[in-house]
Amino acid sequence: MVRLELIETLEGHRDRVWQASWHPSKAILATCSGDKTVRLWAPSTQTNFTKWHCVETLEGAHKRTIRSVAWSPTGNELATASFDATTGIWENDPRDNDWECVATLEGHENEIKSVSWSSTGALLATCSRDKSVWIWEVEADNDFECLSVLQEHTQDVKMVAWHPQLELLASASYDDTIKIWKEDEDDWYCADTLEGHESTVWAIDFNKKGDQIVSVSDDQTIRIWKMYKPNNSQGIPTHNGEATWRTICTLSGYHSRCIYSVSWSKVNGCIATVGGDNTIHIFEEDKEASKDEDSPIYKNIATITDAHGDYDINCVSWFPTESHGDLLSTVGDDNLVRIWKFVRDE
Amino acid sequence: DTVEDPIDEQEVFDLVRSISDPEHPLTLEQLNVLQFDHVEVDNDNNKVLIEFTPTIPHCSMATLIGLCIRVRLLRSLPDRFKVDIRVRKGTHQSEHAVNKQLNDKERVAAALENTHLLEVVNQCLSTAGLRG
Repeated sequence: MVRLELIETLEGHRDRVWQASWHPSKAILATCSGDKTVRLWAPSTQTNFTKWHCVETLEGAHKRTIRSVAWSPTGNELATASFDATTGIWENDPRDNDWECVATLEGHENEIKSVSWSSTGALLATCSRDKSVWIWEVEADNDFECLSVLQEHTQDVKMVAWHPQLELLASASYDDTIKIWKEDEDDWYCADTLEGHESTVWAIDFNKKGDQIVSVSDDQTIRIWKMYKPNNSQGIPTHNGEATWRTICTLSGYHSRCIYSVSWSKVNGCIATVGGDNTIHIFEEDKEASKDEDSPIYKNIATITDAHGDYDINCVSWFPTESHGDLLSTVGDDNLVRIWKFVRDE
Repeated sequence: DTVEDPIDEQEVFDLVRSISDPEHPLTLEQLNVLQFDHVEVDNDNNKVLIEFTPTIPHCSMATLIGLCIRVRLLRSLPDRFKVDIRVRKGTHQSEHAVNKQLNDKERVAAALENTHLLEVVNQCLSTAGLRG
């Protein structure tokens, strides 16, 4: 049996909380909100996780909603994406443990929906309602150079997510597709378009290895896509020497409204989803029932209904590493942040 | 121990019927954009569905009208309700696009941060309390 234990409920945001992002190694959670702030939350000590509190509020840099927040791989910087069409870069000053907005990236025509750092921290990606995805190079002295403006989505781009190891980017859009972006001699291009969802794709996450992607949509389904390289042993056709992504599993009938967020644990392999039906679902591959790795079967191993009362849940995220791999955060339209502990009874 | 009043179709219809049309000095009920029969309320499951009928199939105000209905309900209904707003099937040439936009809460949130748009919405809602 598995269950989710509610550890803590955190109040402080004064508007809907849109997203949460775990520090890459420490038990610190960054959350962003319609109240134009980012809050950092931490337990009283790094060993006692029963009580959490707000340790920092980052404010003053954005004029409108902060839709997305992302830690750099070192945890020394945060990037914030705002409806005010700018991306903020915040740096931690270790002397007084203070956060300061050290750069503002401009260029998008309107609301920025998501921001993500590549695994090495060398690249940053942003996406916007202006239908574009921008790739930025991180240079010395808080300088950011735009390397590419990618304009192949036909609608609002909701989320960007980097591959866990490679410089490969995935983007999800209101045009119902996911696109995979790669670089060839400084030139970024769309290497594949993943079609199958019947409405807006709100969120995506890679598995630990990076050869699969999970996506969630307004069509109330969850899809798992697998990458097939050229000359794969399964005989899946590929084009122009590019890998192709195929749906290998579709989960439907679990969420009864739009699914807003998904997180694929890099520690226990479980997939967590949340949405407009106020529910958290946890899925795990049923290794015994799965016939082969090209048609896996996933089972729903835990469900929490009304996890934020009557309110939509906007984001779910697993802690990224082994150190606190059992932690899960959710944020909602009730302005609250919740921390959950994943417990498996043997 | 908070007992909530059940909410029915009449109550929801009363909340929206007197919203003004953005272009004409008439209410959405007077223009037949909103009709009592096109309001569905499932109080037990916290669901509301409103279908509206644009006055002409290429009405450029359809999204704005839908946004006004949504904002009115956001401000008046208990938070527990999930609201879907749709153009009545077959009554608008961009039905799918209008419906998708009206039910994307992120785009609705962004629209409501637009001061000019919010003023227009508030203008349409200034008559909403008249109830018929």
